[in-house]
Amino acid sequence: MSEGTVTKLTLVANDGQKMQVDRQVAEKSVLIKNMLDDLGDDAMLSAEIPIPNVNDTVLKKVIEWCEHHKADPAASNDDDSDSRKKTTDIDEWDQKFMQVDQEMLFEIILASNYLDIKPLLDVGCKTVANMIKGKSPEEIRKTFNITNDFTPEEEEQIRRENEWAEDR
Amino acid sequence: MSQTRTTTTTVMPPVPNREDLEATWKYLEAGVSKIMSNLQEGMDMTTYMGVYTAVHNFCTSQKAVSNHSGVIGGAHRGAHLLGEDLYQNLITYLNGYLSELVATSKTHSDEALLAFYIREWDRYTTAAKYINHLFRYLNRHWVKREMDEGKKNIYDVYTLHLVQWRLTLFSAVHDKVMDAVLKMVEKQRHGETIEHSQIKSIVDSFVSLGLDEADPTKSTLDVYRFNFERPFLEATKQFYQAESKQFVAENSIVEYMKKAEIRLDEEEERVNMYLHQDIIVPLKKCCNTALIADHSAILRDEFQVLLDNDRYDDMQRMYNLLSRIPDGLDPLRAKFEAHVRKAGLAAVAKVAVDADKLEPKVYVDALLEIHTQYQGLVKQAFKDEPEFTRSLDNACREFVNRNQVCKSGSNKSPELLAKYTDALLKKSATGAEEHDLENTLTQIMTVFKYIEDKDVFQKFYSRMLARRLVHTSSSSDDAETSMISKLKEACGYEYTNKLQRMFQDMQISKDLNSGFKEFEAGLIEPGDDKPVDASYAILGTGFWPLNPPNTDFTPPAEIAKAYERFQTFYNQKHSGRKLTWLWQLCKGEVKVNYPKNMKTPYTFQVSTYQMAVLLLFNENDKNSYDDIAKATQLQADVLDPALGIFLKAKVLNMSGDGDDKPGPGKMFSLNYDFKSKKIRVNLNIAVKSEQKQEVDDTHKTIEEDRKLLMQSAIVRIMKARKKMKHTQLVSECISQIRSRFVPKIPDIKKCIDILLEKEYLERLDDDELGYLA
Repeated sequence: MSEGTVTKLTLVANDGQKMQVDRQVAEKSVLIKNMLDDLGDDAMLSAEIPIPNVNDTVLKKVIEWCEHHKADPAASNDDDSDSRKKTTDIDEWDQKFMQVDQEMLFEIILASNYLDIKPLLDVGCKTVANMIKGKSPEEIRKTFNITNDFTPEEEEQIRRENEWAEDR
Repeated sequence: MSQTRTTTTTVMPPVPNREDLEATWKYLEAGVSKIMSNLQEGMDMTTYMGVYTAVHNFCTSQKAVSNHSGVIGGAHRGAHLLGEDLYQNLITYLNGYLSELVATSKTHSDEALLAFYIREWDRYTTAAKYINHLFRYLNRHWVKREMDEGKKNIYDVYTLHLVQWRLTLFSAVHDKVMDAVLKMVEKQRHGETIEHSQIKSIVDSFVSLGLDEADPTKSTLDVYRFNFERPFLEATKQFYQAESKQFVAENSIVEYMKKAEIRLDEEEERVNMYLHQDIIVPLKKCCNTALIADHSAILRDEFQVLLDNDRYDDMQRMYNLLSRIPDGLDPLRAKFEAHVRKAGLAAVAKVAVDADKLEPKVYVDALLEIHTQYQGLVKQAFKDEPEFTRSLDNACREFVNRNQVCKSGSNKSPELLAKYTDALLKKSATGAEEHDLENTLTQIMTVFKYIEDKDVFQKFYSRMLARRLVHTSSSSDDAETSMISKLKEACGYEYTNKLQRMFQDMQISKDLNSGFKEFEAGLIEPGDDKPVDASYAILGTGFWPLNPPNTDFTPPAEIAKAYERFQTFYNQKHSGRKLTWLWQLCKGEVKVNYPKNMKTPYTFQVSTYQMAVLLLFNENDKNSYDDIAKATQLQADVLDPALGIFLKAKVLNMSGDGDDKPGPGKMFSLNYDFKSKKIRVNLNIAVKSEQKQEVDDTHKTIEEDRKLLMQSAIVRIMKARKKMKHTQLVSECISQIRSRFVPKIPDIKKCIDILLEKEYLERLDDDELGYLA
């Protein structure tokens, strides 16, 4: 691919909706990047790229994120880089971006996991983590609409096992 | 397992239910087979995305994220990750695929087998890259988790491919593949052209298969080293052992060296062309052993022949070869050293037929010629290697200090060298060019470096320098300074200190003379005779190797006034200093106007002693020997030679009884018939016996000085150490004095005895000596 020329790709969501995306944007997804590298330019220009696991709305949302972050430096390959793990800080634009309903939030997380977009997956998980942070189990259940199916004995056991982690 | 391999048009099975392992695998297997077998047909995006999605979906199926039931109390591994089934199925598939390849490989051999191996390897690794990407979800989660938990023998999908290749295919065929490779290499060594890119591919493949079991992210060269390098080196060794044995038997050594050089270059080239860089060192070692070390004995035997015949190129060849093996050059150096020593001794023997009449120049040139010749050899053939230079130095030191000319002692070399230097620095008719002179002085220093008795050189040199300065017979001040600074560089400040002071004295004397001229002019009253035109040199007693005259002398009245004035002048300037007149070194010119048949008056250049004699004839035409002796106060051993020269030059005539030597009872008369072709007649000629005497004196003073030097060294050492064993003291003493001369142990012992006697030292128990302050 020669530099400077913007190649357009067509992505097809699982509900048949098509959208045109710059190659650079689409390649935020390691899945798409690898495929383009493997199959070569010919396959890329001639065909549409099916995305079987993601629907139109979510794909649009994901592409929006990719557009915004297309100039970001490629994340270092080091999965364990400490800074990424430790901080729950999310930059302002991403915070706004993640102000969606819970269902959408989880769809984004699933899609980024599927499409292999590590930074987006991180942002999604951090968002969820921030939702949990500082809440009691009961509050968490309420937040995520979870019914408590533990017996009191089970709950006591878990509490004891995790005592060391409690804030005092 | 092979049904999909043979179908050319691959129809993908329906997209599987995400929880159905069998259906999922069936779908994946179709995709994987398509990649393995028919990648050249290309792959569409739908299949690509399909396979990826199937892996993803299977790994994320509800079964896998089974929320909480049954987890409590079980292994705390968080969410259970699915994927092992896919991983195992992939292994089974790969084994099947590879076993089939092994079967097919059996139908090939040699180059066809290589081609087969390479083709299949390329196909397989390309496919592996694809499959690795398609199974990326498995890599990211299940494999990563397994590896994080420290499970052995779990690899990312690409590495898994390599591992399976090694286990199934490589282990079955590598011997045959290597055989084919070695056959090809042998063909090439026999001069055939081969397609070496094949071997390169094999090397690359073998290298890729090296995985570090401890850390799968790293690779090692173990597989390559064991399966490629080892047999390759073995084959190389055998090939060259056989070849060199035969070649040596049928050809000359020189031819063999050429052959070996070519072979070694070829092998180096071979590494660059198609082998792994890792083999360079062991391959070199292997070739060096087979081609050089195994034949080093006969190579070295040839060295003497090459030396004798000045075969520089072949010696260089031998040097290059033997330098490649450990300790290969030591025997060469020993032979070289012995050879140079022999050549040096022979060269000296050639010029030393008559040692007494040996011209210093001839001798030094003979030494230099050998040095120059073999230094050239070291430069050209032995890369100026320091070890060979040392051998050369050893040999030169040996033949410079111990040869036929030095039979009586090693001090003949420094004496002759000093004399040659004197000849060079003295004014002469055939004055050498400044540039040539400088070069020659540098060469002199080359020989000087080897001289062991540097103190002997110093003695002779300073005497001759003194003579050159007093008689103003130096050819150039620049050359003199240059020589002194060279000596200083070689031996240090102390060695040249006196020489430099002598130089300074001459400079100071020049200024002094002009001061005296003014002083004298102010002294003269009208009517006085014009003073004698004279110049004076003040020589510091400690620095000049000169002794006061050993005879009494009454200077003639004609010059007495002048020298008395100078004495007054000098005492005014430096009161308290004592001036000793070195009459034996003084000289002057007298104009003669008595001979008949003379157009212009002659000028005689004479010593002051001779002048005193001649001036007596101003009063009387005839003088008796005794009158002369009485008037001049000169002793016979000085007077007689002075008169002898006058007689020989026919300035005086002698009459009287007895032999024709000057002596008591003889009469001397002025020869009015004196004739000479030249107007200036030099009568101030040193007599042969005087020169001989001087040399002997010098040697004697050297002996004296050495004793002092040894004693002062001993005192210096003992002052520092206070107590010391006798033997230790002796060896320490030798090492301190070595730069000047090599002291003999009995001489040191004698000096120690002298010091004991003088109570500088005392004897203690246990062969120890103590220092007495």
